[in-house]
Amino acid sequence: MKPRILWISGISCYGNVHSFLTYTNIDIFLDDFEFIYHPVLDSTYTLTQIVEDVKGCDILLIDGAVSDDFMRADKSIKNIIQQYASVVEKIITVGTCATFGGIFQHSSYTGASGVHFKADELQSDFLHLRHKTISISGCPIQPEILVNTLYEIKNNMDIKLDSFLRPKEYFGYTIHNGCTRNEYFEYKVDNHNFGELEGCLYYNYGCQAPYSSGSCNKILWNEVNSKTRSGSPCFGCTEYTFPKIGLFETKKNMGIPQFLPLGVPKRAYLSIAGVTKAFTIDRLNKKLM
Amino acid sequence: MIELIEKIEGEAKLDFRFANDLIDFVEIEFLTARGIENILKNRPAMDALVINPRVCGICGHAHLIATVQALENCYENIEISQKAKIVRELTLNFELIQNHFKWFYLVILPFFGKPQDPKKAVYASSLMAKAIAVLAGQYPHNSYAIVGGITSYITNGDLIKVRSLIDECLMFFHNNLVDADIDEFWICDSIEHIFEKNGDLVDVLMKIIYNNQTDFGKSYDRFIVFGGNSYFKSGKSNKTVVNEHVKFDYVQEELIDKSYAKNVYYKNKSFEVGPLARAMVNKTPLIRDAHRKYGDSIFSRILARMCETAQLLHHSKQLIKMIDQKEPSFIKPKVDIKQISSTGISSVEAARGSLIHNIELIGGNIKNYAIITPTQWNLGCGNKKNLGVAQNAMIGLSSIDEAKLVFKSFDVCSVCTTH
Amino acid sequence: MPHKKQTKKELIIQAALELFALKGFYTTTIPDIASALKMSVGNMYNYFKSKDMLAKEIIKYISIYLGSKLQAINEEPITTKEKTKKIVQMYFETASNRPEMIDYFLRVYLSNREVFKDGCEGMACVSEFVTEVMIYFEEGVKSGELRDQDFFSAFGLFMGYLGGMVFLNGEKILPNELSFYIDDISENIYNALKK
Repeated sequence: MKPRILWISGISCYGNVHSFLTYTNIDIFLDDFEFIYHPVLDSTYTLTQIVEDVKGCDILLIDGAVSDDFMRADKSIKNIIQQYASVVEKIITVGTCATFGGIFQHSSYTGASGVHFKADELQSDFLHLRHKTISISGCPIQPEILVNTLYEIKNNMDIKLDSFLRPKEYFGYTIHNGCTRNEYFEYKVDNHNFGELEGCLYYNYGCQAPYSSGSCNKILWNEVNSKTRSGSPCFGCTEYTFPKIGLFETKKNMGIPQFLPLGVPKRAYLSIAGVTKAFTIDRLNKKLM
Repeated sequence: MIELIEKIEGEAKLDFRFANDLIDFVEIEFLTARGIENILKNRPAMDALVINPRVCGICGHAHLIATVQALENCYENIEISQKAKIVRELTLNFELIQNHFKWFYLVILPFFGKPQDPKKAVYASSLMAKAIAVLAGQYPHNSYAIVGGITSYITNGDLIKVRSLIDECLMFFHNNLVDADIDEFWICDSIEHIFEKNGDLVDVLMKIIYNNQTDFGKSYDRFIVFGGNSYFKSGKSNKTVVNEHVKFDYVQEELIDKSYAKNVYYKNKSFEVGPLARAMVNKTPLIRDAHRKYGDSIFSRILARMCETAQLLHHSKQLIKMIDQKEPSFIKPKVDIKQISSTGISSVEAARGSLIHNIELIGGNIKNYAIITPTQWNLGCGNKKNLGVAQNAMIGLSSIDEAKLVFKSFDVCSVCTTH
Repeated sequence: MPHKKQTKKELIIQAALELFALKGFYTTTIPDIASALKMSVGNMYNYFKSKDMLAKEIIKYISIYLGSKLQAINEEPITTKEKTKKIVQMYFETASNRPEMIDYFLRVYLSNREVFKDGCEGMACVSEFVTEVMIYFEEGVKSGELRDQDFFSAFGLFMGYLGGMVFLNGEKILPNELSFYIDDISENIYNALKK
């Protein structure tokens, strides 16, 4: 039995849809699941049909922020969600906008927010749906995480969730895990310049990887790479704080980064940093090639 | 008669008026807007490099490149290495190509009796997404182009990988779209040669002729290109008469009553942007031949777009050879962007046409940001006296289905239009 | 039994500090320290393998001592201005009650770098103390009371000032007790660092 999926978009850029469309085994996926509606792919119903009455559905995917003022096919997105939420087994908020509000919580629609959270504040409209929701944050999501989660739902697997309803299997890691610049972070070799292989971007260039959750450096992007490996800082797009102001800058107070690696107490970080600063490791201060 | 057009990165409402069984007028209404320009206000300049790709999930990379160029144009003097420029052009090409494949296999095929082909669409487009990721970290939504160059160090291995992805893509093109030799296709000047070949593109073009649709989609026969680079020439073409001078000064936006989109004109006239426009300004022989026979119809538009795919793949291979590894990826600007109070305007060619970004910085923070997207050019909604390009193209057709084909041949991006 | 060894270590350190202050670092020997504690030299070497090792342990000991007092002040729910005064007070009280500690820091640690060059590179052996100073600065900037600036500029101002006063006190140049100067010095430091 193919689970029936409804993918509906709120205030969105469709980045999650197009990230999903980089999933190379899409033909196998489409054999295993049925889209009763999808923003790009052919689906069983049109948008007009989907909103006019409730069609049989097993999983509801919502991407984009939600607001009372935002409509699809002349129906409020929140109404569409309420209607389908009662018949589906599981709801997935796809992307940071649908999970936390993301960029489009700042759009011109009143009270735009994620389905359950506005930043880290629990919203009341869909409280009764929390027990069946899984959040997959990211701007955009990594397609593997969405596809795997859908298969896990299909196969009735146990999915452990964090306090933001994100699967721990993917969000238990930090983006920092697996970055090829790790040694520079470990030994505090911070003299980095853009365009170079060497150096860590945490101290001066705004990299949020050490305190942002996700699997970007574990399940690579497009199977090959990641932002930090290619010299861009992580912008913390999986977190409720996205987007911060000053995304290429590390906010520091008298030289100490405002945001420390996840779970590391300030004194521990400073002691470790202090020790590493006392030593110069030649190999790490030279160019790789 | 109102028809909701969907699956265009959102929706649009088309209100058709018929007279004598033919479409007499059509109003185009875009229904949502997010106010990205407001989200940017007061942020530090570099934040635009993160926010702007989120204007759109399928052409966000074009927005990135337009943003970084607009920021760099705020400087009196700034040095960008040739290497950085070439890599930026490569990733932009790859985004165009992935767009074109998706459009052909997901949007166009179903109009010609074949079902949508997600497998082909995803296979081909994800090769290009991967090529972008090798150079820029990820796709969609990277911010690797920064003021002064790019963040990535490009190794020899990276370029070899990218070249093999391009080759794989060319093989796909050959095996699926047109089984012509790419070198032939590159310089081909007659559509008759296309009809001798096999492939999904050939099938669609033949169907257009067979279905007597070769008059569909004709509009003003007026084209414009702003985002000149090493492949595309900027300029305008009135039918086949090309003029290489275009100025931003003559571009004006106009609010529309009912829609969230804004119309845009050049010297008060509507112009078509996109692959057909680029081919006309470039004087691409194959497209000129199509135009000679079938004008600015859907035939020429569809052919131009898929032809551009092969040409950009071919051109990208040449670009790779021109990269000098000894050059730096990034040159730190002599003046920190925090000191900049200035304006900058830029244009790049996105998949659907010219994209224009205009930024005003005060002390390194964004005071104003204005974006004009290709869909605004093609999908303008005017009154009967000055119709938009697609409006004009739909008038005279005899059914809504025919109008939908013409509408989608322009490939609409609803989120971009209203941003 | 670890605890017993630890207190014995502290006794040795305290005795060493007093002797260094009285006789000077180079003239004091391990046998001198052992004799002051009525220990055998052999037993001494169970606790400290060499005088250089003892020297490094002492500076760490002082760092932990001052660091923990500074941490207590940092954790109080008071303003940065109030913290500044308490820090100055704490430092001057230590200089008055345990002069051998501050004396060691100024006259042994800062003045005989060759003793500390292996194993105490940079600020490795004073990290507990320096960490707390960093936290004082960082929280002051975060709360908006202190101006954001380079750490070392601020550190030099604070520590140089305090060290200088303690040095003058040691040379018996100051006409008044150290405690007399707490208010003015705290105010000077806070005014220099504040936003």
